[in-house]
Amino acid sequence: MNELKTPLKRVKHTFFEHEAKALMKQIGKESLLKALREMLMIRNFETRAEAAYLQGQIGGFFHSYIGQEAIQTAAIDVMGKNNWWSTSYRCHALALLLGATPNELMAELYGRSTGNALGRGGSMHFYTERLLGGFGIVGGQIPIATGAAFTLKYKEIKNEVSVCFLGDGAVAQGAFHEGINLAALWNLPCIYVIENNQWGMGTAFNRALSVDRLAEDKALGYGIKGYTLDGLDYFNCYNGFKHIYNEVLETSRPVLIEVITQRFKGHSISDPGLYRTKDELKECLVRDPIPLFKEALIAEKILDEATFEAMDKEQREIMLKAMKFAEESPWPDPITLGEDVLAP
Amino acid sequence: MNETKDGYQTVELREALRQALDEEMARDPNVLIMGEEVGEYNGAYKVTKGLLAKWGPKRVIDTPIAELGFAGLAIGAAMTGLRPVVEFMSFNFSFVAADQLISNAAKMYYMSGNRFSVPIVFRGPNGAAAQVSSQHSHCVEAIYGNLPGFIIVAPSNPYDAKGLLISSIRNNNPVLFLESELNYGDKMEIPVGEYTVPIGKARIVEEGKDVTIVSHSRMVNRCKEVVLELAKKGTRAELIDLRTIRPLDIATVAASVRKTGRCVLVEEGHIFAGIAAEVGFQIMEHCFDYLDAPLQRVCQLDTPMPYSKVLEKETIPTVPRILAAVHKTF
Repeated sequence: MNELKTPLKRVKHTFFEHEAKALMKQIGKESLLKALREMLMIRNFETRAEAAYLQGQIGGFFHSYIGQEAIQTAAIDVMGKNNWWSTSYRCHALALLLGATPNELMAELYGRSTGNALGRGGSMHFYTERLLGGFGIVGGQIPIATGAAFTLKYKEIKNEVSVCFLGDGAVAQGAFHEGINLAALWNLPCIYVIENNQWGMGTAFNRALSVDRLAEDKALGYGIKGYTLDGLDYFNCYNGFKHIYNEVLETSRPVLIEVITQRFKGHSISDPGLYRTKDELKECLVRDPIPLFKEALIAEKILDEATFEAMDKEQREIMLKAMKFAEESPWPDPITLGEDVLAP
Repeated sequence: MNETKDGYQTVELREALRQALDEEMARDPNVLIMGEEVGEYNGAYKVTKGLLAKWGPKRVIDTPIAELGFAGLAIGAAMTGLRPVVEFMSFNFSFVAADQLISNAAKMYYMSGNRFSVPIVFRGPNGAAAQVSSQHSHCVEAIYGNLPGFIIVAPSNPYDAKGLLISSIRNNNPVLFLESELNYGDKMEIPVGEYTVPIGKARIVEEGKDVTIVSHSRMVNRCKEVVLELAKKGTRAELIDLRTIRPLDIATVAASVRKTGRCVLVEEGHIFAGIAAEVGFQIMEHCFDYLDAPLQRVCQLDTPMPYSKVLEKETIPTVPRILAAVHKTF
């Protein structure tokens, strides 16, 4: 390893509190198994898409959500789909959770006419009726999500919020400051979720940001609340999001959340991750949100190994079918190239 | 407002714009105004005068000096059901918001596979005012003109300003509506009440048969002086006001050039890779066999805008420079 390398800073975080057993009772078996299925859906989608990428079926950039599944799964389980959602280019999971089918997303990755964005967006630009996008420019979604919250307030829609996911890398952008300042100034119901996977591409967060606690330290400067959640623990995310969601609905004040997580893979598929030491990678792989969740459910007899295997297999098959669907889908007709540059 | 004949009013260009905003706000509750000093200050150039008093702070919104933030916020609002009109105090400040305009507003409808349109107007003064130096005098149409997904409108008179602004607010795409600070006080008789001017349609300001002059925005008035000068010597120039830069009404321009065989392009913005270069190339594509002389262009010289009024005057197209260009085509 390069001796010029600055080590990743270890920060001791105090997470929002939760009690897993009580939560399991409260959430109920059916919803817990649904959450597990969703996390396995994401994991299997990313795994199969990555394989397709390596086969040359998919081009461009490809940013995997593997290792971060618990966060967005818990957020949507708590808040429901019926809100405005936006995220960075690491957008596959959010689209899946919001109801885009594996077929249409895989077809988009394959660049086919049946794709989620008609083969125009690719890996970084997925959408649903309520997903304003995967956004390709770091931090670019922050003012957009703030604008969605503005619309909710303008139209006096009180039972929805705007949720904006961003990476730790976006915290250094001007859009972060301007967007959150406006949301705080105008009391907009926007929840900003910083998924701190510790790395802005190959730069450790402590080489890019002047504070250690990205939500709690930063929130003070905007007069809003900041929370820190454990992104590898579904229950911690669930409990934190639930508390925060109810608070935002009640106060119409924005909130800043930092969710500590791990990126198991490189920044993108073309990133071998040489900036990360073997120890750093090994340490991060010890806590995988899916086995953690699975073990918790097994311990409470909500799940058994065979059921887990069956669920995983089911998702794998869905993704294999999606690959087949994508591969057999027609390419976009070049005659359509000029369509939709302007809206009617 | 002066009294004129029935059904007409004589107004300044800024009042024509104000009426367009006011009438569209009355027509559609989702239309709102946002920008620096648009509310309590009544607008840096008084275009939004009285609108806060009439419509209240919910729909006439003063922003902090944070162009990236409020432009992006307005784009997000447009994607989720509102129709914001965002004022840039100067279009030079849009550069601070360039990522939101370019990466999000212009590309969203196409990139999202037509899921999200962005019905929004960005308006404000463009180009030179009076001695505000290089950072406040840039013409932005050539920069943004390179980007598919934008509509770019640049009216030259109060009638077009009102009718085009109404059309822009009703359009479902991001519109860059370029005004000129030096035109805000221009007066003209316009109809009372609602009317629209279509986007994408140039106007023949003066008909002529000898040479075509193509321009837009503030330079149209300068070209009118040129037309009068030429008429004194018996040359009848046809003057075309593009009114919309994107989509470009090349058909009107080409029909004129095919008739006259000569063309001079006049643009306030810089010469290199400017709007004149684009229009000129399209004329070559459509009218090559009809041209009796090489095309000429008169644009801002290839320097940042200087402060001194002597230098400022000379770097922008002048009547003598335009006349000289016309004479070169004969």
